[in-house]
Amino acid sequence: MAGKTIVVTSGKGGVGKTTTVANLGTSLAKRKYTVVMVDTDIGLRNLDVVMGLENRIVYNLVDIIEGKCRKEQAMIRDRKLPNLFMIPAAQTREKNSISPEQMKDLCSTLAAEYDYVLIDCPAGIEQGFKNAIAGADTALVVTTPEVSAIRDADRVIGLLEAAMLRHISLIINRLNVKMVKKGDMMSTQDIISLLSVPLLGVVPESDEVVVSTNRGVPLANDRNSKAGAAFIRMAARLNGENVPLDGEGSHGFMGRVKQLLWN
Amino acid sequence: MSLAKGNRSSTVSSENAGQQPLAKEHSDDTSEKGPPAVQVKADRNGFTLVPDPAASLDEIVAFMDERLEQSRNFFQKSEMVLDLRTRPMRTDEISVLCEKLYEKSRVKVVEVRLSDELSFSMTQEGRKSRLSSKGARSGPPENYAPLIVRNTCRSGVRIVSPSDCVVLGDVNPGAEIIAEGDVVIFGALRGIAHAGAGGERAARIWALSIEPHQIRIADLVAVPPEGVKPMPPRFEVAEIQDGVIQVISL
Repeated sequence: MAGKTIVVTSGKGGVGKTTTVANLGTSLAKRKYTVVMVDTDIGLRNLDVVMGLENRIVYNLVDIIEGKCRKEQAMIRDRKLPNLFMIPAAQTREKNSISPEQMKDLCSTLAAEYDYVLIDCPAGIEQGFKNAIAGADTALVVTTPEVSAIRDADRVIGLLEAAMLRHISLIINRLNVKMVKKGDMMSTQDIISLLSVPLLGVVPESDEVVVSTNRGVPLANDRNSKAGAAFIRMAARLNGENVPLDGEGSHGFMGRVKQLLWN
Repeated sequence: MSLAKGNRSSTVSSENAGQQPLAKEHSDDTSEKGPPAVQVKADRNGFTLVPDPAASLDEIVAFMDERLEQSRNFFQKSEMVLDLRTRPMRTDEISVLCEKLYEKSRVKVVEVRLSDELSFSMTQEGRKSRLSSKGARSGPPENYAPLIVRNTCRSGVRIVSPSDCVVLGDVNPGAEIIAEGDVVIFGALRGIAHAGAGGERAARIWALSIEPHQIRIADLVAVPPEGVKPMPPRFEVAEIQDGVIQVISL
């Protein structure tokens, strides 16, 4: 059976797409699935740094697409997990070096061999976004509880729907529970009622994320981290397991009615 | 662009039935490699463009460019209907295509057909003259059936209706609903709504909750008062009273 191809996107930059890809990839690989992560942010690649693999890059995504190497040559194995791979983006090229059709072909060949293909989408809604979503069958939209990020997420969801992507879920990143309680930050419930897409999970704001990014070790490797645990639970839900949204997605009655109505 | 949903589906289907493939020889000459990106069909009312479901926007534009180049005089200043029943397009894609057609050969796209029941006329005059010649509806805008939008309008969406507009879902920040008549939203209005866009001051905006950036009725614009905390959702109506837009909860 062909694997799932999942694009992680957001519209706005800096909300945690790459962190999400790295952590979901690690979590899924820990569950013994074969996972390949594809960085499509050509010119501004980051996934290699977050995974701590930047010094192993020889070939990249554009080399595969242009036929300069086999895809196995460009894939970099994770330092810890033997079933987790990454295809880095080219740093010295531009987004239009590849086309949506080429991405589609690559994703379908990868999906035939791996259980999960996670695509890290660049910020924006231009060529890079179109490339990234071309081969995906599922989209995860990452947003933070800020009005600007939510506005961009809304626009992106509209574009994903226009591109006939049927499975769209929401990830709320960097939620500060204390601020929500004080009424200084939008709550999960507010965000869901505005975006009206199903919630995959909520990641609490945490200083550990910066540390793990700098060290190049995804948080999902750390059992004691709250944010890491949130990613592990999300990976389980993505896998179809029934993990309750214990408190993280406490949307009220109206939120639930809306979700029933719109989905 | 103005959109109209009418009960003209009967007209549409009868046009389809009587279609004569006059331009057939033109569509065959490039068909060596699979189906052409666009089928150009002709009937007595003009041309109908049917893009191939698998064709990308670039392919469609390139194909039409070549086709208009080949038979420049044949298509010059003609009116065309864009049939999107098999290949949905986004509004930005539609406008790119329409602009290209107009630039190249002054071709006007007069109607966009989305489904058997839903078709949007692009130019009111062009469409009206054709309808009145058939003895069909040609009255003022109030006679159009309301445009019904059956999903949430997200940021970036712009909907223009020549009559009333009914949205079955929310209108999110960044979306715009513009109607000649009333705007009725079965959801929350958080974006921009403009009722009575043609100057009708009696038009109203109805929504389950009105918390927009801006609302407009006819020639008036209102912004919500600052520092008002959000109320629990309830049915609200915006209308003009004594020359000022008022939002009243029912």
